[in-house]
Parts: sequence; structure tokens; C-alpha cells
Amino acid sequence: MAQIRLKNVSKRWGKFVGVDNFNLDIADQEFLVLLGPSGCGKTTTMRMIAGLEEITEGEVWIGDQMVNKLEPKDRDISMVFQSYGLYPNMTVYENIRFPLKVRKVPKEQHHERVMAASKMVELDDFLERRPAALSGGQRQRVALARAIVREPNAFLMDEPLSNLDAKLRVSTRAQIKNLHHTLKRTTVYVTHDQIEAMTLADRVVVMNKGVVQQVGTPMEIYDQPANTFVASFIGSPAMNLVNGMIADGVFTSDGIRIEGLPHRASGAVTLGFRAEDANLAEANGQIEAPIYTVELLGEATMLSMRVAGELVSIKVGKDYRAEIGELARIAIPASACHIFDQSTGARIEA
Amino acid sequence: MSEAMAHKRPVLLNTFIYGFIILWLILAAVPFLWTVWGSFKVEADFFSRESWWNAIFGTATIRETGAAFTGDGYYGAWITRDFWKAAFNTIIVTICVTTISLTLGTLGGYALARSGRNYAFWILIAALVFRAMPHITLVSGYLLPFFQLNIWGVLPTSIIVLVAINQPFTLWMLHSFFLSIPKDLDESAMVDGCTRFQAFRLVIMPVMWPGVVTTGLFSFLLGYNDFAVTAMLLSADNQTMVPKISSFLGSIQETGNVMFAVAAVVSATVPLFILVLFFQRQIVSGLTAGAVKG
Repeated sequence: MAQIRLKNVSKRWGKFVGVDNFNLDIADQEFLVLLGPSGCGKTTTMRMIAGLEEITEGEVWIGDQMVNKLEPKDRDISMVFQSYGLYPNMTVYENIRFPLKVRKVPKEQHHERVMAASKMVELDDFLERRPAALSGGQRQRVALARAIVREPNAFLMDEPLSNLDAKLRVSTRAQIKNLHHTLKRTTVYVTHDQIEAMTLADRVVVMNKGVVQQVGTPMEIYDQPANTFVASFIGSPAMNLVNGMIADGVFTSDGIRIEGLPHRASGAVTLGFRAEDANLAEANGQIEAPIYTVELLGEATMLSMRVAGELVSIKVGKDYRAEIGELARIAIPASACHIFDQSTGARIEA
Repeated sequence: MSEAMAHKRPVLLNTFIYGFIILWLILAAVPFLWTVWGSFKVEADFFSRESWWNAIFGTATIRETGAAFTGDGYYGAWITRDFWKAAFNTIIVTICVTTISLTLGTLGGYALARSGRNYAFWILIAALVFRAMPHITLVSGYLLPFFQLNIWGVLPTSIIVLVAINQPFTLWMLHSFFLSIPKDLDESAMVDGCTRFQAFRLVIMPVMWPGVVTTGLFSFLLGYNDFAVTAMLLSADNQTMVPKISSFLGSIQETGNVMFAVAAVVSATVPLFILVLFFQRQIVSGLTAGAVKG
């Protein structure tokens, strides 16, 4: 049982603000992903939970204990590091066993638990090797096994997949998801890769410049981004954002006109829509502009065109062919549009 | 592969290369071998004014002792003039200097390497300044206070001064070794259940051995070879080997004293050879690698 609670947590180095007033309740057994570009404070937040970074202000609670003053070893968490942090002088077996040894777990249990943990990550054949003789993916699995062998209250994972090649990343990602399902422990996972966040998380926290931008399930974050930062960070390609004016539910800008939008918004706004929500128009479209490029993706074709000074991407059928410079008409349903305040970037709800 | 390459090189270049190596070997080895050989002769041979062949054939040695080789120099130095005591003192001094320097150096170097503070940098710069000063400038300043405190002439005083002189170097050296060990290692150890000190002892130190051995060897050599400090700060009774050898040379009223010095020099050099041969692998790996591949 371990909820993790962060109350008004801040981290400052002199005048530099690393994390600003972070508030979050992480439920027991939840898989929470901290997502953001590098330098946004996500790793710092995790390190404050782990006890590797001092907390400038605020409180961190694990279970029903305030852990601000506790050493990392007394917090009953385990952590997987980006660069693995394996002990190079020990064999894989000894690496996995190390947490049991220093925590004085009775010796009779060691072998059984090391074997169980290594089996879970399919490392049984490499127990006698040293980390230097392993591939990147195997090293990462040793780090995972070392984290799970102790059966702690919570797992912290700091970009565990970023040193792996693309193919291995997908399979290890699946393995982590499966492990979480089996072990049912609270997990906090830091990444800058929005696909990892979408696939793994129960809930995602999007951060930028030390400030939480949005907390929600992957679908909420994808479907109702709280501001233009989240909209442009989530999704591949990112959401198209076009500046323009809205009045009486009609959005207009250079080369684009959308009717039937909610009446609440007026004045200068940013309009957002996803590439896959737009399509080729039969007759009069909402966008009429010359094609900038046509990219074949295999399963679809990505069309980009310049609208109101921005390049917008439109996903169309895989058989679509057109020349650069040709005029294209694009239909965008009003229901698929997101409207943000142009000055603050905040979402304006319908 | 090297053989194949040797075949490809022109003969002239090969001759030059091997000639140079042989010349270098002679330059490096002959003075020492000459001293070893000469240490088994009498002074009339080794410092012969008639012909240096006497030193090789031992004409005077045969005349004086009845054999071509004699252990008189060694006997005189080790037994008559108590060189064994100097050797014993050297052992005490070097072991103490090495142990203390390494203990303080590993702890301090680790702390400085892991500290994110600005002053860590300035401490290292200050250490470098002290390292750059000639030893003798420090020692001359010590003399008066040591007399006044009545701690002049004994081994512990010299040990402390040698440690002080050596510490900046060990700090620098070990600091850079610690920097090459990723911080993740300490941190994963601490999350795995270690205190800071346990992480240092169980995880960091085992990876640090090449660095410790290399730094330890340099500390050992400093203690072993030092002349400035030990000559100035030790009384005649407590001398270590190097000032003792110098005192053999200094008093030439007695015959055979120079040969005592020669024998003592050879005795003092042999352990160094053995040491370097024994630790060469660690020294090389310590000097070249340093970095830990995790």
C-alpha cells in the first residue's frame, strides 16, 4: 500500500526554479507518468520522491509518512536509472541480490528471490556474467530485476528506455507494462517520449519549465489538452495550431474559415485540430491552400500546407497523390476543433 | 602482426630503430648494473685511479679479501653502521604516509568529487598551489616551531609533514578517479538500501582499486625517496634510508664508507624494482583506464 502525495513541492537552486509548487496525489498501484521536454523538472520531481534531491519547500508523503527528512534507503522505494547504475564489479546475480544483502533480508530467502526476479525479466541465462558483458537491453533488465527483487512499496523509473534502440524500446516497454500488472505496485515513470506516456500510463502529468500543465488519463490529455503547450507536445504529429479571430462561432484567418464553433469564445484565439481529424473536402472546405509537401507514411499520406503563416499537417488516405503547389480543399468538422486563448494559451471550453 | 610489419619496413629504418632501442637500454640500465656489480668490490677497485678495468676484474678486491667478490660493503652498511635501522624506519615512514594519505585522500577526493558546491573547486586549486611549492620551502619554516615544541627529530613528525606534502596530490588524483565513476552508482546503492558511507565502501571502493593502487604507489615513492624532509627533520638516530646514504657519503674520514653508500644504494633500489614488477598491471590500468564501463 503506497499512495504518494506531493504537497506544494518546490525545488530551487538559488534563483533558478526547477520545480514550482507541485501538487499531486498518486493512488496506490497507479502507473503515473511524468512527461515533458528535457529540463522541465520531471526528473527533479522524481528525485525528490526518491530522496536524492533535497526538497526546498513543501512535503512529500509516501503512505502515511512524511518522508522529507528520510534517507533514500528508508523510503522503501526502488529506482531504475537511465544509465542503469549497475555495479560493474559484481555479477548479474550479485547485482540483483545486492538490495537484499544490504537490507539484511534473511540469507535463506536470497537465492529464491533473485531467481524469481531474474525469471520475471528473462535473465536466468546471464546470472554469472558481469554487466560489461551484457547488451544494453540486458543491462536494463538487470536494473529492473534489481528494482523488483526487494518488492518495495513503489517503483521510480527515470527514462529507463531512452538508451535502448527503437525495437528494443517497444518490447521492453511492453515488459514494463506487464510487470506493473503482475506486481501491482505504485509506479512513477519519467519520460520525454509521449508515446511511452500514452502506452504505459494510468495518468499522465505533463510538465513544462517546472510547472504542471495538465494531469489526466492519456485519453483526456490527448482529447482535451489544457493549453497550447500540451496540445503541441502530445501526439505525432503534434496538434495543428492556427492563430486567428473568432466571432459568433466563426473562426477566420488567412486561408481558413470554420463555422459552427461555440459562441463563448470571441476575439483573438488559437485554433487547434489534429491531423487525423481533418480530411479532404468534397466541395467547399474549411481550408483552401496550396500544398507544401506530400509525405508517404505507408499506412497514410501526410499532407502539409501553409495556413495563416503556420504549416499544418493533414492525414489523408494512403492512395492520395498530388503535386506540390496544387490547391487542396480540406474539411475540418467543428466538433474536432479546440480553441485556446491566444495570450494565455489556456483552453476555452465549449 | 608486429613481425609482418617489421618485414615491411626498410632494413635501414629497422637498423635505426633497433639500434636506438639498444642504445637507450644501455643508457638506462648500465649505470645501475655498474653500481650493483661495483657494490661487491672494494673501494680501491670501484673508484680505481689506475684503470676502470679494475672495477670489472676486481684486482684490488682479490688482493685485499682473497676473492673477486666481497660482501664487505653490505656488512659494513647494514651491520656496522646500522643501515637495518634506517631501512626499518623507512618501512614505518612509507607505510604510515601511504596509509594516511590514501585514507584521507579517498574520503576527501570522494567528497570533493560528489560535492556540487563552488568551494570544492577552490579547495582543489589551493591544494594545487601547495603541491607546486618546493618541499624545502615548507620544511625550513617548520624547523623552529618543531624545536620549540620539542617534536623535532622523531618519525611521527616527519610522517605528518610528508602526509601534508603528499595530500594535495592524492586528493587531485583520487578526485579525478572518483569523477570518472558515474554518480548513478552511488545513487542506486543508496536507493537499494545503503547509507552514503556504505555506498562508498561497498559500491564505489571496489571499482576504485586501480586508482587507489596507482595513487598509493606514488605516495609510497614520495615517502620512500624523500630527502628534503627526512634529512632536515630527523635526528641521526632516527634517519631513514635516503638521508642515511647521504651521511655515508658525507663522512669520508673512514675508509670503506663510500662503499657502504654504494651497497646501501643498491639495497634501497632493489625493493622498488620488485614493487613495480609486482604492481605493474594495476599501475598501467590505473594510469590509462580510470573510467569504469558500467
